[in-house]
Amino acid sequence: MQPLLTACDISFAYGPTVALRSISLELAAGQVLALIGPNGSGKSTLLMTLLGHLCASGTIAWDGKDLKSWRRRELARLVAYLPQSPRHEPGQTVRQVLQLGRAPYWGAFGLESWADEQVTLQIAQLLKLDDLLDRPIEQMSGGQRQRVFIGRCLAQQPRALLLDEPNTFLDLKHQQELCQLLRQLARTQNLAVLMASHELNVAGAYCDRMVLLGGGAVAATGTADQVLRPQVLSAVYGLAIQRFEGAGGTPVVAPA
Amino acid sequence: MKRWSGARLVLTLLAAAAAMAAAALLCLIVGSTGVHWPRGQERLFRLESATDSALIGLALAVAGVAYQAILRNPLADPYLLGVSSGASLAAYVWRLPAFALAGGALGVAAVSQQAFAFAGAILAVAIVLTLAGRRGRIEPVTLLLVGVIVNAINGSIFLLLNAVVRDLPGTGGPMTFLVGDLQEITSRQRGAAAIVIFCGALLLLQLSGQLNVAALDDAEATALGVRIHRLRWISLICASLVTAAAVCIGGPIGFVGLLSPHVGRLLVGPDQRRLLPISAAIGAILLMAADGLSRYLAAVNHLGTRLPVGVLTGLLGGPFFLWLLFQSRRRM
Repeated sequence: MQPLLTACDISFAYGPTVALRSISLELAAGQVLALIGPNGSGKSTLLMTLLGHLCASGTIAWDGKDLKSWRRRELARLVAYLPQSPRHEPGQTVRQVLQLGRAPYWGAFGLESWADEQVTLQIAQLLKLDDLLDRPIEQMSGGQRQRVFIGRCLAQQPRALLLDEPNTFLDLKHQQELCQLLRQLARTQNLAVLMASHELNVAGAYCDRMVLLGGGAVAATGTADQVLRPQVLSAVYGLAIQRFEGAGGTPVVAPA
Repeated sequence: MKRWSGARLVLTLLAAAAAMAAAALLCLIVGSTGVHWPRGQERLFRLESATDSALIGLALAVAGVAYQAILRNPLADPYLLGVSSGASLAAYVWRLPAFALAGGALGVAAVSQQAFAFAGAILAVAIVLTLAGRRGRIEPVTLLLVGVIVNAINGSIFLLLNAVVRDLPGTGGPMTFLVGDLQEITSRQRGAAAIVIFCGALLLLQLSGQLNVAALDDAEATALGVRIHRLRWISLICASLVTAAAVCIGGPIGFVGLLSPHVGRLLVGPDQRRLLPISAAIGAILLMAADGLSRYLAAVNHLGTRLPVGVLTGLLGGPFFLWLLFQSRRRM
C-alpha cells in the first residue's frame, strides 16, 4: 500500500545551524508514529518542514503528490497540525474553536454549510464535548482543552494528524487518555498520526513505530522494543539509561 | 450560536443597517438650531452631517476590527497606530499651493486627495510596524509607544506647515487636524469616500472568516489553509484605505476604531464574521451620537461654540483606552 507521507533526504538549516540532516521517513494510514529525541534534536522543525512551513531540501510527497503542488486549502483538508501551545481568542467557546477546524471548507464571507455544522457536532460527540459546546475555553482543564484542540484538527476531516508534543502540560492520566484516543482514531478512522513527544514510555506504549532523532539526524527507527534500548537512548540523550519490562512486555525506560 | 449561514449574514447586515438608520433619524432631530424635525436646507444639512459621521464611524470601526485581528493586538486602532494622522497630514499636504504647483508641473495634478491620504496612511503604518516589530513579533505596548511618537511627529510637521502657509482654506485648521471634526466637503468628495469605504468594508467582510484564523499562531493558521502573510497584507491595505477615506472627511477622529470592536465583542463575541458588521454599526452610531451631542451643546449655547466631534470621542474613548491598557498590563 502506498504510504500517505513519503519524505526523502530532508535537510534544513537555520542560517549556519544545521537542524535536520538527510532525514527520510514514511507514514501510512492507520499508523501511529512517535517522533522522539532530546530538546533541539529537530522534532518540531521536521514537523514544520513536512507541512511546508519551512522550505527544506529533499522531497516530500503527501498522498503521492509533491508538497509544493498542494494548494494550502487542499492540504489543510488532508493534514491537520496541532502545535505545542495552540492559541485561542479570549472568550472563545468550545463550539467556536471546533468551528475553526472547518475553515478549509468555508465559502466566501466565511459562510458555513449544513455539512460543516454536522461534522462539528459529530466531532463534539466523539470527543464527549457535546455538553460543553457553549463553555468558554478558559474555563476548561488542561486535559479538556487539549481534547478541544484535537477536535479542531479532526473537524478538518484530515487523513493525517501531526502533533507537536501534545502531552505537554498534561498529567499522566490525561497523557494516557490522549494517546489511547489517538490510537483509537488511527484504528477506527484509518488516520495517520505523527506525534512528537518527550514522554518515551507513554509514546512507546501506544505507537506502532518510533523514530529517534539526535542532532537533527535519525538515530534509530523501528518498534518501541527496538528503539527504547539503553545503548541507543544513552548515546542520543547523553546519560545512562536502564530498561524494565512493563505489563505485557511494554518497554519502560528511566535514567540509571 | 448556530452556524454562519447566508441567511444569518443577510439578517446581521439588515439589523446593523436598521440600527444605523434609527440612530440617523434621531440625529436628524438634533441640530445647532435646536431640537426639532428639520425642514428645507436645514434638513439637507443635518442629513449630510449624519451621513458623514455614519461613514466615518463605520470606516474607523471596520479598520479597528481588521487592525486588531491581523496584529493580534486589542489596543490597535487607526488613531493610535498613527495611520489617521499620517493620512491627515498627507491630505493636508495635497492642498498646499506649493504641491499643487509642483503637481501641475509634473502632470500629477489629477492624483486625488484620497489617493494621497492613502499613501500617507500606508507610510505611517509601515513606519510604525517597522519600528515596533522585533524578530517578526510586535509587542502591544511598544506598538502604542511608536504610534504615539509617529502621531507627535505628524502633528509637529502639520503645525510647522500650518505656521508657514497660515491656515490653508478648506482644511479646517489646526483644531481639526489635532482632534478631528466633520469638514465641509462636496458631494463628489463624499461619494468618492463612500465608494472607497464600501468597497474596503465589503472586502474585509469577505475575508472575515480568515480573520478568525489570523488570531491563531502563524503555523496553525497556515495549517488551516489560510495564506496568512497574504491575508495580513490585503487586510492592512484595506484597513488603511478605509481609514484614509474617513480621514479625508473628518480628520483623525480618535478612539472610535478602538472602542467599537470592544463593544461589539461584548455583544456578539470574538467571531470576526459577526463582529465586523456589528462593530461597523456601533462605530457609525457612536459618531452620529457624538455629532448630535456636539450640535445639541451648541444649540443650548452652554459653550458658545460647537465642539469638534473628536473632542467628544476623545473624552469618551480616552478613559476606555486607559482601562484597556490596564487590563492588558495585568494579563502580561
